[in-house]
Amino acid sequence: MKKNSLILVLFFCALGTMMAQRSITGNVTDETGEALIGASIIVKGTVSSGTTTDIDGAFALEVPAGSEVLIFSYTGYTTKEVTLSVSNVVNVVLVEGLVLQEAVVTALGVERSEKALGYAVQEVDGTDISRSGASNPVDALVGKAAGVQVTRASGSAGGGSRILIRGVSSMVGANQPLIVIDGVRTNNETLLSQGATSGTASSNRLMDLNPDDIETISVLKGAAATALYGTAGSTGVVLITTKKGSKKSQFDINVSQSLAFDNLTSMIDLQNVYAQGSGGNYRDPSTGASGSWGPQISELEYATDQTHPNAPTSSKAFDASGAYNFDKNGFLVPKGTGNGNAANVYNNVDPFFKTAVSNTTSIAMSGGGETATFRLSASNLTSDGVVTNNTYDRKTVKLASTINPFDGFTISGSVNYTKSDYQRVQQGSNTSGLLLGMLRTPVSFDNANGFDALDAFDEVSAYQFPNSTQRNYRGGGGYDNPYWITNNALGYEEVNRTFGNTKFDYKVNNWLGFGLNIGYDITSDSRKQVFEIGSRTNASGAISHDEFNTKQFDTYFNILGSGDISESFSLNYVAGVNVFSFNNHQTTVDATGLVFPGFLDISNSTSLSSFENETRFRSVGFFGQVEGNYDNMLYLTVSARQDYDSRLGDPTNFDLSKTGFFYPSASVAFVFSELMNTTNSSAFSFGKLRLSFAQVGAPPPNAYSTQSVFVSPSIGDGWGDNITFPISGVSGFDQSSLLGNNELTPELSTTLEAGLDLRFFNGKLGLDVTAYQRKTKDAILNASLTPSTGYTNVWLNSGEMTSTGVEITLNATPIQTRDFSWNTQLNFTKSKSVVDKLAPGIERLFLAGFNSAGSYLVEGNEYGAIFGGAYLRAEAGTATDTDLNIPGGAVVINDDPNSNEYGYQAVDPSQRAIGNPNPDFILGWNNTLNYKRFSLNFLLDWREGGDLWNGTAWALSFFGRSQLTADTREEAPTPIEGVLQSDGSVNTIPVVRDQSYWTSSLGGFGAVGEQFVQDGGWIRLRELGLSYRFPAFKMVKGGSFGISGRNLWYKSDYDGIDPETSLTGAGNGQGFDYFNMPGTRTVIFKLSLNF
Amino acid sequence: MKLYIKYFLVIFLTTSFLSCEKFIGGEFNADPNNPATVPVSAQIPAIQIALSDVYGGDFSRFGSMMSQQVEGVARQWVAFNQYTGLTPNRFDDAWQNIYENILNEIQIAKASSSEDGFNHYLGMLQIIEGYTLMIATDVWDDMPYDDAFKGLGSTNPTYNTQADIYSKIYQLLDDGIALMEGPSGSVAPGGEDVFFGGDVNAWINAARATKSRGLLHQKDYAGAAAEAAASFASADDNWGFQYPDANSAGNWFRFNRDREGDIEFHPTMRAIMTGLNDTDRLSIMDQTFNAGDHPYMVADFFQEMITYREMQFIIAEADVRANAGMTQAGYDAMLNGIKASFVRLGLGDTEYDAYIANGSVPALGSVTLEDVMTQKYIAMFVQPEVYSDWRRTGIPALTPVSGSAVPVRWHYSSDEYLFNSNAPDETTLSIYTDRVGWNQ
Repeated sequence: MKKNSLILVLFFCALGTMMAQRSITGNVTDETGEALIGASIIVKGTVSSGTTTDIDGAFALEVPAGSEVLIFSYTGYTTKEVTLSVSNVVNVVLVEGLVLQEAVVTALGVERSEKALGYAVQEVDGTDISRSGASNPVDALVGKAAGVQVTRASGSAGGGSRILIRGVSSMVGANQPLIVIDGVRTNNETLLSQGATSGTASSNRLMDLNPDDIETISVLKGAAATALYGTAGSTGVVLITTKKGSKKSQFDINVSQSLAFDNLTSMIDLQNVYAQGSGGNYRDPSTGASGSWGPQISELEYATDQTHPNAPTSSKAFDASGAYNFDKNGFLVPKGTGNGNAANVYNNVDPFFKTAVSNTTSIAMSGGGETATFRLSASNLTSDGVVTNNTYDRKTVKLASTINPFDGFTISGSVNYTKSDYQRVQQGSNTSGLLLGMLRTPVSFDNANGFDALDAFDEVSAYQFPNSTQRNYRGGGGYDNPYWITNNALGYEEVNRTFGNTKFDYKVNNWLGFGLNIGYDITSDSRKQVFEIGSRTNASGAISHDEFNTKQFDTYFNILGSGDISESFSLNYVAGVNVFSFNNHQTTVDATGLVFPGFLDISNSTSLSSFENETRFRSVGFFGQVEGNYDNMLYLTVSARQDYDSRLGDPTNFDLSKTGFFYPSASVAFVFSELMNTTNSSAFSFGKLRLSFAQVGAPPPNAYSTQSVFVSPSIGDGWGDNITFPISGVSGFDQSSLLGNNELTPELSTTLEAGLDLRFFNGKLGLDVTAYQRKTKDAILNASLTPSTGYTNVWLNSGEMTSTGVEITLNATPIQTRDFSWNTQLNFTKSKSVVDKLAPGIERLFLAGFNSAGSYLVEGNEYGAIFGGAYLRAEAGTATDTDLNIPGGAVVINDDPNSNEYGYQAVDPSQRAIGNPNPDFILGWNNTLNYKRFSLNFLLDWREGGDLWNGTAWALSFFGRSQLTADTREEAPTPIEGVLQSDGSVNTIPVVRDQSYWTSSLGGFGAVGEQFVQDGGWIRLRELGLSYRFPAFKMVKGGSFGISGRNLWYKSDYDGIDPETSLTGAGNGQGFDYFNMPGTRTVIFKLSLNF
Repeated sequence: MKLYIKYFLVIFLTTSFLSCEKFIGGEFNADPNNPATVPVSAQIPAIQIALSDVYGGDFSRFGSMMSQQVEGVARQWVAFNQYTGLTPNRFDDAWQNIYENILNEIQIAKASSSEDGFNHYLGMLQIIEGYTLMIATDVWDDMPYDDAFKGLGSTNPTYNTQADIYSKIYQLLDDGIALMEGPSGSVAPGGEDVFFGGDVNAWINAARATKSRGLLHQKDYAGAAAEAAASFASADDNWGFQYPDANSAGNWFRFNRDREGDIEFHPTMRAIMTGLNDTDRLSIMDQTFNAGDHPYMVADFFQEMITYREMQFIIAEADVRANAGMTQAGYDAMLNGIKASFVRLGLGDTEYDAYIANGSVPALGSVTLEDVMTQKYIAMFVQPEVYSDWRRTGIPALTPVSGSAVPVRWHYSSDEYLFNSNAPDETTLSIYTDRVGWNQ
């Protein structure tokens, strides 16, 4: 590829430098005379002697004596061998040839010709990952492959992302794809310390991989592509191949430095007109009033005289000297009665956030010779969040190497070590959540207490009184002051991880080779969450210490071979055994009741409790695959795998056969263009039809589901904190609410996939279309039971789901001249999973969320449909009412004159499907324009549809903080559109949507969630980059300088923060925004030098 | 070479297959974190504290809110206070606590005690079960019992009528008393019995007190009074759980700490007590519901399940219903109840004597049912039984906070409506008019 032209003329000396050499120079052009930049020239018979052409298509090469043939190759062109004559100048014209001789990495790391594949695989080049500027490899995949959906959970530094391939495939089990690095499974888990809707942001563990270490990423989408991975691959596989150094180079050093700046993209629209209070009356912070339903702030001014008739009366209001505690300007009184100084409108939000800076330095040394290659890389990332004290630092070291001790035998391996340190801030649904308290704060109150917003972080008096109680807008009640949180309620996390593999390959002959690949991945994740005394979540202070140790070992033993049976028929096969074991051990110590503030150590607590949890499972798989190829035209692949999984085992009565499951797959690739007389000059150059079938089994989502157990319960009712044993010195156990089920069988899904791959104009235009259908049955669901059965849940083989999808990739190189080229790629993804059946008697299954709006599995609805309170509709309860969806007819208006909600929308007593969090489609449009040494790239990311429940707007309406409530409270009384409940006539009851309305069932914390479900789709400029490759000078072989931006612009109808947000992070239940940390936009400067 | 490979393969595959069973089998899938069986003594504290906590939690908050002893003033509690927020899902926690965390545990514990011949454990469990069924049916009326607790064996449990439940309650209590009066079997309850420390007589008294409450609900006043008289002799006998400290604090304390400002003292109760010059008790109850500040709702709360003063009021109520103006015995019982309430609030003879002296309690001969029930209403502050009393007698007269009626029962849990096809129809069940069996 031409981008390789940035590697300028390099001389690769042959091993025997003592030998006599001759210098060959020349030019490589295409048929039209255009220079080919970056064409590869190697000396036949060597692997290390070679070069590439420069920007003018020129090359110079030292050829060892005795070598006579040079091989010229260039992607998309027919490779040419030239025998050297006496002349030392060789000019070569390359002819455009058929594409698709490229090998792609498929299951088990087997490189296969792309032409042979009967299923969809898409490769993403490491340079595209690196260029994206994302520090998380998952984020870097956005828009680069059809069928892939990535959602970043929040804008917090160190926050993770969720990736899906072809939407969801398991109803309640893990849905993120298997991550395989260099042939072995690698942990991408997201471990939560607190609930899914509260606590801090969490990482996904693939963040531990330095994106610059990635050579390629191969996305295996369907079941046929992943069949050899067994159950683990049922959600798709992301195959990552890391860089290992090249045999061609002797010694290269690459150093790069990048500097990135992040700031917030968005914030929900808040009103800045009305002061704290209720019913239009001002209530000062000492009253604890929660809402901003007071008078207009322009009607208020300050007073300092305690004898003022409107002076606050609470003992909290004034200090010993008589100064007002909550505002240095004094308390607020009606205009004209105070000191004449108009009340300030405080902005507690925007100035709180800073521009965050992050810094990445990386260095890589690589090289190689005939028998060995190596690559040693190290990187250091230090980054800030836009919130002070939110940080993420990552250090990585990786050594990869290959050795060929003798012909046919290869040992390769890599070792990664990563240390990540996080400092996190509480978010989401908890009284210590940063935005929760911040956004609820009335404009009449200054969280920073008169200090400059960014200085207040270091000013204790901004957020705390001298007696150590909190200074917040609810007089010490309510929520933590944001400045208090960032100083006193932080989460610290240190991850030490090592992962890698060792691989032995021995090729006896073409028909027989052995491979043994042993992989390990060991992660230690140590976390400490502190709540200083006086926290609104833990009044007496709390420290929670979590230690997670995750170990996984993955071993493959393969036998493989290939060869020609006859002139037109060839065969290859692989068979083997895979042994996998997973173990996660968590030890938690919770310390509460701190003795004195300022010492956040568990020795400072009066009450300690601890628990440990071990998750373990193992599996053994036997697999085999045979691929036959007839005349390079028809390819047939058949595979089978038998897995045994411990998670299906009944510990009291183990039966191996009950833990086993078999799955077959078959795929056909028919290169029909072989039948046609296509020539290099014809517009149609290649056509292939793909068909595949695969059946995949999946074990229970969790270990130990086959037996009921006793647990030490936590006792309570969801309002105050639960209490846990030991209590009064005694311990207690109760039968878990989850009923064990030893009758579980694997969940089965059957996938049919068809695809068409068409190339035109010698590959300058390519269209790849894939359609699939996946039917899942016997899905193992955590079915709800009514507690009167004695249990609330049971794992049950009961679910059925159908997923369908279309993926389209369009590749084009509309312009390619010597100086200018334009490559463009469109990736279109549409997938839809509809729940066909749940457990008997169970209408819906809760995935995540809240009472007013939760994500559920509901029969007949799309996966994860948002279910919640709805307005009553005229046709509710009639024959057209499906009981699940919002019934037809007008909204019904409550006209009971005795009701507090007279004139408001009536509430449907049944919860309904009020939203669908799944996008209608995703489209990524990726462009690269090269002009001489400049390169411009941009990626537009369009996500159509996908509802989000705007819980932030829901809650803020209750508090009168959203702009919406400022607008509606000023409206003239108007009837709400609808029909009267009593007689069905058109509503004529005029109401104002004021405090009474927004604090009723129709507003925040009310039963109805429907009005806050909004379209979370977007169009955004995901990436924009401009880079310049500079030529060699002195020591420097080359390099580049680039400026790029991530997420610079977006457009959305969502009435809140940037809709790329997910309160529940990596969980299956999606579609919730509840005081989430908004996303950020990033500008990155990157300098890279090669020596 | 080829032969060698063939052998190697056969051996390799055979060994991997054989070791497969060892590798994934046996107890490997047994949960290492949680036991598959526990002794009954390990279940007892969980059952007892769960019962104490649900009674002092949802039952107390909703009961005293509907009885207008407390009012919801912020967040969700505003909607609950106005009854509109009392949708089925609001009762999910209470229902789950009753069925899953208490009654189902009791079934398991009863089975193992019965198998092991631990008669006193069995008797105690039956008494707790009878009590639990009663507090549940008093708010939910008909409920699953015979067909409940069967897991996948019956996922849609059918309902027993309240009358049926009540007869089972009496059977459980009587059997429990009989077992407690007999030999204990090889192992007897001890310190893990956080209610009574294994005190057999205390359990027998508690069973009688529970029976008395039930008979009262079912309008057998004489029977109720007889059981009451045979139960607790003083407040020392009260059935309750002593929460230890702020780390394992009483439910109201935890609520006030974590949901501060959501619930406060109710003006209705304030007006009643002010009208009776009940200033000392009022000054204790009528404080901001703030953890640490409220003098009654403390961290080391004694959560009463059923008390001596309730028994005394039952005797008084039976007496005033039978004898116009009351007899001396009934009157004494009422005064015992009032005095016990003063003591419970940390007040002494001085305050009690002053209260009696101010004439708010009518003299013997002129006492009405309203006087007795009003005194009981005050004495039983935040006891869920107040809600039953109000539903039985309509005393004190309450003005609905919104609409035209105060709810007279609870909704079933939304889980029941969703997952049990034998549950009553949610849309036709009215919490305002569908009174529970004994209240019809």
